[in-house]
This record gives sequence, C-alpha cells and structure tokens, in this order.
Amino acid sequence: MIPQIVKDLFKIKKLDVSLAVFIGMIVMSVFGSVLYPVDPLYMANPPESPPSKVFPLGTDSWGRDLLALLINGIKSSLSIGVTAALIALAIGVLIGVISGFKGGLTDSSLMLVTDVVLVLPSILIMMLIAAYLKERNPFFVSVIIGITSWPWVARAVRSQMLSLKTREFVYMSRMAGLSDMRIIIEDLLPNMMSYTFMAFVLLMSGAMIAEAGLSMIGLGVTKGVSLGIILYWAQLLEAVRRGIWWWFVPPGAVLVALAASLLLMSTALDEYFSPRLKGG
Amino acid sequence: MNPFIRFLARRIGFLIITFLTFLIIIFALPRAIPGNPLAALLYRIIEQQQTNPDLIKAVHKKLMEEFGIDRPLHAQLFEFISRFVRGDLGTSIAFYPRKVAEIVFTYLPWSLGLLIPAAIASWILGNLLGALAAYRRKTRVDNALLPVFLTLSQTPYYWLAMLLLYALAVYAKIFPLSGAYSPTRLPSLTPAFILDMLHHYALPFFSIVIGAIGGWAIGMRAMVIYELGADYVTYSDSLGLPDSKVLRYVFRNSMLPQITGLAINLGLILGGSLVTELVFSYPGTGFLVFRALSTLDYPLIQGTFILLISTLLLANFLVDLVYAYIDPRIRTGYVGD
Repeated sequence: MIPQIVKDLFKIKKLDVSLAVFIGMIVMSVFGSVLYPVDPLYMANPPESPPSKVFPLGTDSWGRDLLALLINGIKSSLSIGVTAALIALAIGVLIGVISGFKGGLTDSSLMLVTDVVLVLPSILIMMLIAAYLKERNPFFVSVIIGITSWPWVARAVRSQMLSLKTREFVYMSRMAGLSDMRIIIEDLLPNMMSYTFMAFVLLMSGAMIAEAGLSMIGLGVTKGVSLGIILYWAQLLEAVRRGIWWWFVPPGAVLVALAASLLLMSTALDEYFSPRLKGG
Repeated sequence: MNPFIRFLARRIGFLIITFLTFLIIIFALPRAIPGNPLAALLYRIIEQQQTNPDLIKAVHKKLMEEFGIDRPLHAQLFEFISRFVRGDLGTSIAFYPRKVAEIVFTYLPWSLGLLIPAAIASWILGNLLGALAAYRRKTRVDNALLPVFLTLSQTPYYWLAMLLLYALAVYAKIFPLSGAYSPTRLPSLTPAFILDMLHHYALPFFSIVIGAIGGWAIGMRAMVIYELGADYVTYSDSLGLPDSKVLRYVFRNSMLPQITGLAINLGLILGGSLVTELVFSYPGTGFLVFRALSTLDYPLIQGTFILLISTLLLANFLVDLVYAYIDPRIRTGYVGD
C-alpha cells in the first residue's frame, strides 16, 4: 500500500518534473561511468574535436573526453552539494533550535552572530578562505561553503521554534515533567521535518552554484573534476572566444538543470505544506 | 528619543561590530591555517633570491614588517587594525613596490560601475515582472514566466556571459570580444570613447541584469501573492475601490521586504559579477583577484577583499537607511528594528 501523502505528492506536476530531472542526473552520475566506461583523464585523443559518434560531447584542448569528464563532474558537484548542505543545515538547525528554545540572552547573542554572518557576503568570504588553502580537496571546499551559508536557516528555524514552543502539546510535555532535550527531540524537531528538508534542498543548490563560482575564479578543488572545474578550464583556454561551445555549454546547462530542479522541488513542497502560498 | 535616531544608532553599532568581526577574520585566516601560508610565501621568496637578490630582500623585509609574524599575536592584531584605520593596506608583491590601496582603487571603479547599475536595473525589472506574474497568477502569463524566473535564478551570470559572448560576439560579431574599451583608444571623455566604452559595457551588464532578474521576480511574486490574500485587500475590494488603487497598496507593501533583500543579495551579485568580469577580461577587481591568486600576492588579495566588503557593508547600511525612511513603522517607533 502506498500512503496517501505519497500519492498526493506525485499529483503535483512541479514536483514530478523536478524529481525526473534530478533523478536523471543522479542516474547519469552513478551509472554513467558504467555505461560509458571512458577514462576522463586520458589525454591522447584528438584535441578540441567537436561532438561526434566517437566523442558524444567532443574533447577539450588536452584531448580529454568531455562526456566522461561531465559524468565525473556531476558526481563530485553533487557530493560537494550534499556535504556542504549537511554542514550548513547542522549549524543552522543547532543555532536556531537553541536560540528559539532558550530565548533571553542566549537568543540575542546567537542572533547577533547570525546577523553578522548573514551580512558578510558569503561568496566573498568563501573566496578569501579558499585563497589561503594550497590543497583544496572536495571536503575542504564543502566545509568552506557549509560554514558560510547557514545563517538564513538559523533565522528560519528560530522563528519556527518560537511559534512551535507555545503550542499546547509542548505545554503538556512540560507538565509531564519532560526534559528540555526530550521536548526538543520528540515534540519540536519532528514538526520541522518538512521545513528542514526544504532548507536542505535549497542549501544544496546554493552550494553547487557556489562551488562553480569558486572554481571559476581559480579557487575550486585542486584535484579532481567538478562542473565548475570544467568551466574553469574552458575559461582558462579561451574556449568561448575560440568557438569551442561543446566545452562550456554542457557543464553549465547541467549545473543550471540540477540547481533549478532542486529549487522547483522545494517550491512544490512549500506549496504543498503551506497551502496559503498557492494563492487561490 | 526619536525612534529614527534610535534605529540609526542600533544600525551603526551593528555596522561596527560586523566590520570588526570581518577584520578579525581577515587577520586570523592566514595565521590560523596550518602551514601558515604567509610563512610559506616568505620561504618561497627567499628560495628565489638568486634571480634578483636586492628586490627580493626588499619585498621580504616589507612583508615581515607588514605582517609582523615574529611578534606576539595581540601586538599583530593591534598593528593590523591601526594600519587599516590609517588607510594603509600594505604593499603588493606582484606589483612591488606599489601600494595595495592604490592598485585596488584603479580597478574598483570598473567593478562598481558594472555592479551598481546592473543590480539596480535587475531589481527594478525583476520586481515589476514578479508583480505582473503574481497579478496574473493562474493565467498563461504566470505559467510562462515562472519557469523562466526559476531557471534564471539558478543560472550563474558568468555562464550566461559565456553564452552571450559566444552568440553575440564570437558568432554574430555584434559586440567586442573583451575588455572595457578598445585597446587602440586612449581613455578620454570624448563621445567616440564613451560610445566605445558602452559597446564593451553592454554584454557584461546584460549578463548580470538577466541573471539577477529571476531571483527578484520570484521573491516579488511570492510577496504580492501573499499580500493579495491579506484582509485589507478583501476590505478594499468590498468597498469598491478601483483595482489600480488596491494594486498600488499591494505593491508598496510588497516592496519593503524586497528592499531588505537588496541589501542581503548585493554580496551575491557582487560575487557573480567578479567572475563575470573574468569572462570578458573586464579590468575590474575580479580580474585583479584572479591575477593576485596566480602570484599568491596575499597583501593584494587581502586588500582587495577588504575594500570590496567595506563598500558592500556601507551599501548595506545605506539600503537600511532607505528602508527605515520608507517604512512608517520604523519612522514612528512601532517596531524596534
């Protein structure tokens, strides 16, 4: 038996479209290297050849197969997106929950910190941190993105917390003498699941775009391939001015498709869970 | 106390706290990262001494002096902040012996000249289009516009820039390939030069405007839809007020959060426009950062980011002031902040 909520969710067209695109990308990144077993770093192919039967997306200036690079790039961009989003979500939820639940001085000092980080332009701070790291593996890049993109989550979780903690079921738990920790974990957090998931989805799309931006200015991962790194190489070797469109169009298009499908997914869920936004 | 003054005092206090936090981050970063990048840089300079011993000694001495990594931390921090207050951002390595502040100030106007008009244009256009989509919700207009907004809001400006550059400069040859003006011309205030500059300006400008419209439009659309469901709209409708009047109320109420949005998103737009400069080899700070990174010119990188973020924080503060001036609740002290 499929639960009613799943059936309802599948009736939302926006959600179906975004899931189709997103899952398609995941399948491509996971099974791509099985279905298309080409070494992305093999350099002896004819350089800069346009898309053909042998090289479906052509090759770059070093003669590497761009489809193979793209498959690898999606994989690492997705994993950076997930890792960074998890880090940002953990920080944001922790600060938001403590701030909203405790109130008082704890609340005002945590929110001051949050506001300061919110006002500092995250992408520039990311660049600044990355500039001092000589070796940047995907995990470092995820951490840099994660620790700069949490403030809006903290603010949103805090305001959810403020409204939830005055509900009757929380008073009941308090009267029953439950500890703060149990109230948070058993009463409050489950009520924020849908919201937390939406925040995760948005953080993930933001992180993937941030990764590409860092890479483009020369501060991406120092080893490995990501969507941003492919764009960076294309930019470095003047692919645009030399008309090698097959080098920079596919990675950008894939990045936009991934990020847009995630945004669409969160919009659809948002409308489902808070019907007022549907604007009848 | 006048509520506006109180609001102002709070914002200035916050600005100072933010700024100090930022300076401490800048100060701490190179010193906190394992294998101190500055020390590594100094070591590299010493290693290369055979090429030009005198110059390198001078650079080394200057760096030691400016970063003072042999002194205790609190002394370094004090020195760092007092230098900054005096407007001294140190000496560049790649452009030795030029001062960092002097170099950045020759690149900064190009970046700001691109960023500020583009941000304002996209904000106005995005808000108008978003309001239109909301007003026509559940019609073909909205159904066509919304997916476009969603996609654009997730499209990096620099990728859009690459597409536009390829289509309109490489393929159609309507716009120049790179730079802020033709290399054969000398900067001057003649009509011919200004025309040439605008010709180079068009593609970077529109890349940022088109890329930024989506985000504003989505925000505005959501706000207007939310406002249209508010009680005052139902009430005004039942009074028989003309649609245009009701819409004006709705529009004004929806604009307020968008003004705060402008303050918060300016940094994001700046980040995107820095990378967009690279695509066009536009001589702004993005280009400068890229060059400084390839030579590990830390004083220059640090100075560029200090000036960029200072400008941004100041812009933020100005937007806050505009907000306070427009929002009657702040003007009359109905809400604190």
